[in-house]
Parts: sequence; C-alpha cells; structure tokens
Amino acid sequence: MANDALTPRPPLPDGRGGEPRVEMLGISKRFGPVLANDNVDLTLWPGEIHAVLGENGAGKTTLMNVLSGMYQPDDGQILLDGQPAVIKTPIDALEQGIGTVYQHFTLVPNLSVIENVVLGTKTGFRLDLGNAERQLQTMLADFALNTTPQTEVRHLSIGQRQRIEIIKVLFRGTRVLLLDEPTSVLTPVEVEGLFAILRRLREQGVAVVIITHKLDEALDLSDRITVLRQGRKVGVLDPETLAASDRETSRLRIVELMFGGRPSSEGSDVASGSAAPGETLLTLSAISADGDRGAPAVKNLSLDLHRGEVFGIAGVDGNGQKELGEVIAGQRRSTSGSLAIDGRTLTNQGVSAISRAGIGYVTDDRLGEGSVPGQSVAENAVLKTIGLAPFSRKFWLNRKAIERHAEALIEQFDVRTPSASTQLTLLSGGNIQKLLLARELAMKPKVLVCNKPTYGLDIRTAQFVLKTLREQANDGNAVLLISSELDELLDVSDRLGVMYNGELVAIFERGEFDVETIGQLMLTGRRATGVAA
Amino acid sequence: MTERARLSGMSLTPLVSSLVAILMAFVIGGIFLEATGKDALEAYRILIDRGLLSNTGLTETLKKMAPLLIASSGLLVALRAGVWNIGIDGQFMVGALFSAVTGAALVGDVPDPVMWIAAFAAGFIGGVAWALIPALLRVRFGLNEIITTLMMNYVALNVTAWLVKGPAKDPKIVAPQTRQIPLEHRLPKIPGSDVHIGLLVGLVCIILVAILFRSTVPGFMLDVIGRNRRAAVHAGIPVATLMVVALLVSGGFAGMAGANDVFGVQGLFKGNWNPGYGFTAFALVYLARLNSLLIVPFAFFFSFLLVGGDSMARRADVPTYFIELLEGLMLLCFAVAVYLERRWSQRTARAASSDPATTSLAVAGESE
Ligand SMILES: Nc1ncnc2c1ncn2[C@@H]1O[C@H](COP(=O)(O)OP(=O)(O)OP(=O)(O)O)[C@@H](O)[C@H]1O
Ligand SMILES: [Mg+2]
Repeated sequence: MANDALTPRPPLPDGRGGEPRVEMLGISKRFGPVLANDNVDLTLWPGEIHAVLGENGAGKTTLMNVLSGMYQPDDGQILLDGQPAVIKTPIDALEQGIGTVYQHFTLVPNLSVIENVVLGTKTGFRLDLGNAERQLQTMLADFALNTTPQTEVRHLSIGQRQRIEIIKVLFRGTRVLLLDEPTSVLTPVEVEGLFAILRRLREQGVAVVIITHKLDEALDLSDRITVLRQGRKVGVLDPETLAASDRETSRLRIVELMFGGRPSSEGSDVASGSAAPGETLLTLSAISADGDRGAPAVKNLSLDLHRGEVFGIAGVDGNGQKELGEVIAGQRRSTSGSLAIDGRTLTNQGVSAISRAGIGYVTDDRLGEGSVPGQSVAENAVLKTIGLAPFSRKFWLNRKAIERHAEALIEQFDVRTPSASTQLTLLSGGNIQKLLLARELAMKPKVLVCNKPTYGLDIRTAQFVLKTLREQANDGNAVLLISSELDELLDVSDRLGVMYNGELVAIFERGEFDVETIGQLMLTGRRATGVAA
Repeated sequence: MTERARLSGMSLTPLVSSLVAILMAFVIGGIFLEATGKDALEAYRILIDRGLLSNTGLTETLKKMAPLLIASSGLLVALRAGVWNIGIDGQFMVGALFSAVTGAALVGDVPDPVMWIAAFAAGFIGGVAWALIPALLRVRFGLNEIITTLMMNYVALNVTAWLVKGPAKDPKIVAPQTRQIPLEHRLPKIPGSDVHIGLLVGLVCIILVAILFRSTVPGFMLDVIGRNRRAAVHAGIPVATLMVVALLVSGGFAGMAGANDVFGVQGLFKGNWNPGYGFTAFALVYLARLNSLLIVPFAFFFSFLLVGGDSMARRADVPTYFIELLEGLMLLCFAVAVYLERRWSQRTARAASSDPATTSLAVAGESE
C-alpha cells in the first residue's frame, strides 16, 4: 500500500525545494459502507505539479475535499510546512494558503470580475477596490485574459471563467492550488492556456494538484503522479521515474496501477458496424433554433439518422451542438424547420411526446439539469419514467420497484454508490454520469442523443460507454454523439458531421475521415481550400 | 419516520436550526422588551401561562391550529414546487366569504354535515378563484407569482369588503356582514373537548399532503420541480401545468381555512376581516423545513404564540404586533441559521443545495 513513507525525499526539479509544503498522512474517510479514502499519504512539494489519477470513484475528489476543509478526515493528519494544521472549513484552508478550483464554478454570473474576486476576502465590507483593481489588472494581463475587472462574469467563456476562478484563489495568497478535473470543460486551446498558467505558477513555487482522467495531460504536465484505487494509494511515480521511462511505459504503468489486475475492456471493438445503414429514424429538415440569449444557435440544419449508425458531431464547444441536441430532445423550441421521428412529424411537441416517440437525451450538464439534488440515486434513475409501470400505477408510486430498478442499473453499469438510497449528487462525478446514461438506455430509445457522454469518465469507463453506444446502434437504433473529443468520434462514428456557427458544414463517411480537414472545419467552418462544403 | 426522512433526504439535524432560530428570536425579542422598559420575563411568563397552561388558553391554541394546519398544508404544496404563494391572506378572505354566503343560503334547509361540506367546498373554490388570477398572469404573461399573489391580497381586502356591503350582505342587518350561522349549526366539538372538529380537518389535510409527497407521482414531480426546475424540464415533467396546479391548490386550502374560521369560530363574514394567517403559515412551513408532518408541532407552537400573544399584549402591556415581530425575527434568525449550517456542514457544495428548504430559498432569490 503506502510504500514510500520510509523512502528518502527525492530531490526537487531545478534544485528548488526544501521542505514539503503539504503532507497528508494516513488519511481515511468513510461514507457509510464506502471507504472513500483508506490510509492515504500524499506529499506536495512547492514548485511542483502533482497529478492525482484513478478510476471513477477512486477517492480523488474526496482526498482533495479533505485537504480543502470540505470534509473532516475520520483518521489521519495534515501537516502544512511541517506543522500540524487544523483545516475545518474551505475558508480555513484558504486562509492557510490552500485554494481549490471546483469543477462547477462558484462565480456569481451577475457580478463583475472584480466583485467576484474580492467577494469574501478578509477586507470584509469595506472593500479597498482601488488597490484590488490594480492588482487584478496585472493578474488578468498575466493570465492572458482580455477582459476588464468591470466585465460581468456572465459575458465570459467557460475557459475565461476558470481562469478567474484561479485568480480568485491566488488573490488570497494561495500557495497550494487544487484543481479537480479542470480540463474537461475546456477546448484544446483553452487547455493549453491553462497549462501555461499552471507551469508559471510552478515556477513561482506554488504546489499544484491536478485531477484528470486524461493520461496524456497528466504526463505532459506533471512532475509527480499519485494513483488511487478504491480509496487506497497504490503508487507514486516520482520525477526520476517519469524522466527515466518513455511515455508509453509510464502510460502502461499508470493504467496497471489504476485498474489493478482486473480484466481490461480495452481493445474491445467500438469501431463502426459494417452493416449498411437501415431506414431513416430521425429526420431534421432545415431546423433553426435560438440559443439561451436569443441569438440563432442552430441554423437551417438538415440531417437524417438511420438505423444502425452512430453519427458523430464534432465542433468546438458553443457552435450550436448543445442546442441541436436540445431541439431533438424537445427541450428547446425550433424557430423553423421540422423534425420527424420514424416518419411522424413531432416538431416542437415537447419532451414527453418526443421521448415517448423513442428519443433519449443524455445531457452534458449532469448536475445542472441531469440530476435532482436531495433525491436518491433510485429516484433520479426513474426521473423520466416515474409515470410508467412498474414505477407507479395510476398515481401511486411503487418504491420497491423503483429501488429494484435502480439496483439493477447500478449493477449493470457498475455505478459506485453506497446504496440506491444515497443522494445522487453525492456520488463521484463519473458515477453520476454513468447513472444518467443508464437511465436513458433503460428507456430503450430508438434514437439516443448524447452530449459528451464520456466527460469525467476514466478511460476504461469511457471505453465501456462508447462500446455501449456502438451496441445500441448495432441493435438497430441510431446514436447521435456530440463530443469535443475528436479521437472518440473518429473511433466510434459511422458518419461524422462538423458543426460550425450553428451549421453542419460537412459530413464525412467513415473511411473519408481526415483529421486535418475536420480540424480546419471545426476552427474556421471551411476547408483549407476556402470552399465550404 | 426514518424511512420518510431517508427518502426525502432529510434528517432531524436540520431541525436544530429551526429551534435555535426560535430561541434566538425570543432572546432578541426579550432584549427589545427590556429596552422599551417592559419586563420581558414577566411577559413571556404570561405568554406561556395564557397560551399553554390555562385550560381556555390551550383550547384556544388547539382551535387556532386548525386554520394554520389547513393553510400550511396548501402552502407546503406550493413551496415544495418552488411556487411562492404570498397570497394566502387574500385567498383566505375570498374563501371565507364564499363559504359564509353558501352557509347562509343553505343553513336549515339541508342537513348540517351537507352544509359544512358545501361550505368547505365553496371555501376551496373561492381560494382557487383568487389564486387563478395570478396563475393566469403567470401562464399568459410570465408574471412572477410573488408579486401578483401579494397584490391580490389588497384587492381581496377591498373586494370582499365591498361584497359584504352589497350583494353578500345580510339584508336584515345594517352592519356589513353575511347572515350569521346560528351556533347550533356550526362545526361540532371533538367529543370530550371544547375544540371544534376543524382541528381534525387540519390534521387530515396534513396527512393527505404527506401522502401526496410520499407516495404519489404528482407529489414526486412537484418535488423535482422545486429542487431543480431545469431537471424537471429535462425529464419532460409538465412544469408549467404543475406549478399552476400547486398555486391553485394552495389557494384552495387557504380558502378552506377561511371556511373553517367561519363555521368554527366567527359564524359569519365581516368586511375587513383579515386574521393574517399568511405570514404565520409561511414562517411555520419554513421552520418545519418543508416537511409535512413536522408542520403539526410547529403549527401548535405558532398557534400558541398567537393566542398567548393576545393575552400578553393585554396583560403585560406589550404592543400587539410584538408577536409578528417575533415571527419575523424567527424567519430572520432561521435564514442566518441555515446559512451557518451550510457553512459549517461537512457536506460538499453540491450536497448543500439538497435541503428543500434552502433550495427553494435559493429559488426565490433567482430572478425570473
Ligand atoms: N458525501 C458523500 N456521501 C456519500 N458517499 C460519497 C460522498 N462523497 C463521495 N462518496 C463516495 O466516495 C467514493 C469516492 O468518491 P470521489 O468523489 O472521491 O471519487 P473520484 O475519485 O473523485 O471519482 P470521479 O473520477 O468519478 O470524480 C465514491 O464511491 C462516492 O460514491
Ligand atoms: Mg471526482
């Protein structure tokens, strides 16, 4: 288990260093039957980027929550600069220089950048805005943020907001920065930007912890990698080890540590089915729809989905993919055009009619609209089918049937949860995602629309999900897969469309996929030759 | 109980906030009394003595529980769905007038139980009718019900006052009031007590609402709407319809509370009669943290406050609005307690929004 407690301290990169900034010793945290952290040690050095890896539910977020004061450990100790530290709340943690950037942001959209950053600082009610503003201005420039302190946060992109989150904690003198899956919401360009910032913080001696499911990111960025499995620390790759072995070896080593000796589902075939596409299941004719702010988001888009195919939608986030999914699901009104399922026109008929006609929709906003806080895993599992037998008869709920159904889904999709009656929002991110997908598949949709279904999933689970989507198509259904991960789209799609600025600018058949061209189309909406498809 | 607590994601610990809030309100209220030269301890002694320990006080307290229970059970339906019905008072008055007129028309001609049922039905219809206007404004123009239901209270006050001067007036009497229901036709007493059966009606209402949320599909859906409206939309739940229904139902219950007071206490409807249960119902439903069965003890407590407060005002020379002040303080302290609870709780940020009471507080803050 913990094998490095006695090993001598490794030298630091660039000879920086001295004492460890944080030592978490023998941390344990239990939630009911689940031992989320089991005697975990974690040492953070100044000027080091430390990646924490592990499968969904391994206990990564819990460990960070212990360090950031969100949870009290049942056992174990935390040393800060060698001194025992008491961290009772996140505010305690902040005051002691430990800042966290959560995956779902905590900024207030209607306040300006400066108000958000200064909100809750020690200065309290009498804000010294002048001074703060000067300081903030430099930081914004440092972070390549092209906004003024007075800009309201709601006008900023996700990537910009995340940087403001980082600025917000740094503004409070953070020397230990914790980031929980910071990249899953970012575009590749934004990821590069974030990494540049993290590297600079490392230069400045900040200890950075990053949780991610993308091994390449971890290997690109971090100096040290800790792997958790089922709550235990199963290994640490220190800087020397990482430097000494090539990327592929490190990769294999990490995967081995993450999943142990359990059988791999990797290598299983997610590639396209070879059968010729069947009859049309979903027809979109010249559909248009507005986005949340009223501007057109989907423009005159036509598309046929056939039995047996996975249709991938590529595109940089915010080019209308989400709105397209919502229109198909009946959640967003189309302003023109028509939608037909299996030959029946159902334009703007609303979610329940459309879902009865056989459309499923896995939202990418799993906490914002996918799950109901305060309700159990079981209740969430039947959110969309509560009115149907066996979950209810006439008006009466059948709690037994609900519970049993949830238990079956938990089993089938390996959802890690203490029980079916645990609140869904308490599960780890990846496990919430698994349940949402399971909920949709249980309804046996003819057409399944998935928006970023693998986001936040560990590589093995992501693979499992893609395989499930493939099977869904092979069983004679259709899948519309919206994703910002080009790799998975290339793997699994039979056809691949690129969305740019609300339009489907190109459709590729499998076999004609050309990464270069697709990338061009995603960024500019046209092919290199300058002619739009 | 544990089953229900588990299913709705609640435990008894949140009650601590409510109890602390009540205690704090008494302390602050006491300081206020002392500061104005009154003897706070003596005042509180009278409050407890008159509201709880004396026989008549206890009877009055139990009687007053009836309208609070009835109105609160309706209000709970609305609040659990995130619908802010601030119009309980107006719906109460219109319901009371409807039931008084119905009773006046039927009394003596039909058996009493038939008349009572008709009167409660009329009260329900009156309350629904009054809630219908804000409901339509919401559906048609998207107007926020917080404002419209509040406005309708003032309209109700004037409209009912006008009606009892004209069309609904007892022609034999000069005063603007409906025809008095003779004592022998009022609601009967619970055997062995001086408390009329309105209390039982109230308890039945609470039980019905508890069943609604525990075991029925509409209750489940209302909860989903209240906890995460976007999730409800995503799930294809008829959000707009159910929210309107919740508003109407809560109006109907407020109207029945009016019928209860006409047939249990007053015997008639007078102009400008507004007991102002709305605010009390609001406070108690919140302190009960939107939990149906917990409403019962809190209704008892607030009823005691209202009854004891009356005596206290007279005997200890305390302003009559002191009880309202206490209620306000309780809500205020409650808000602070909930805030602290969230800050101190070991739950994560995502878990913190799981309590229905705090969730709908957050919903209310959301601009629409
Ligand atoms: N507040 C809580 N109540 C109950 N169970 C919890 C709570 N928080 C976490 N758990 C459980 O503890 C385990 C570890 O969860 P954690 O969130 O730390 O996982 P993770 O490694 O971050 O996973 P992911 O990659 O999916 O985000 C999971 O089984 C989860 O269900
Ligand atoms: Mg996590």
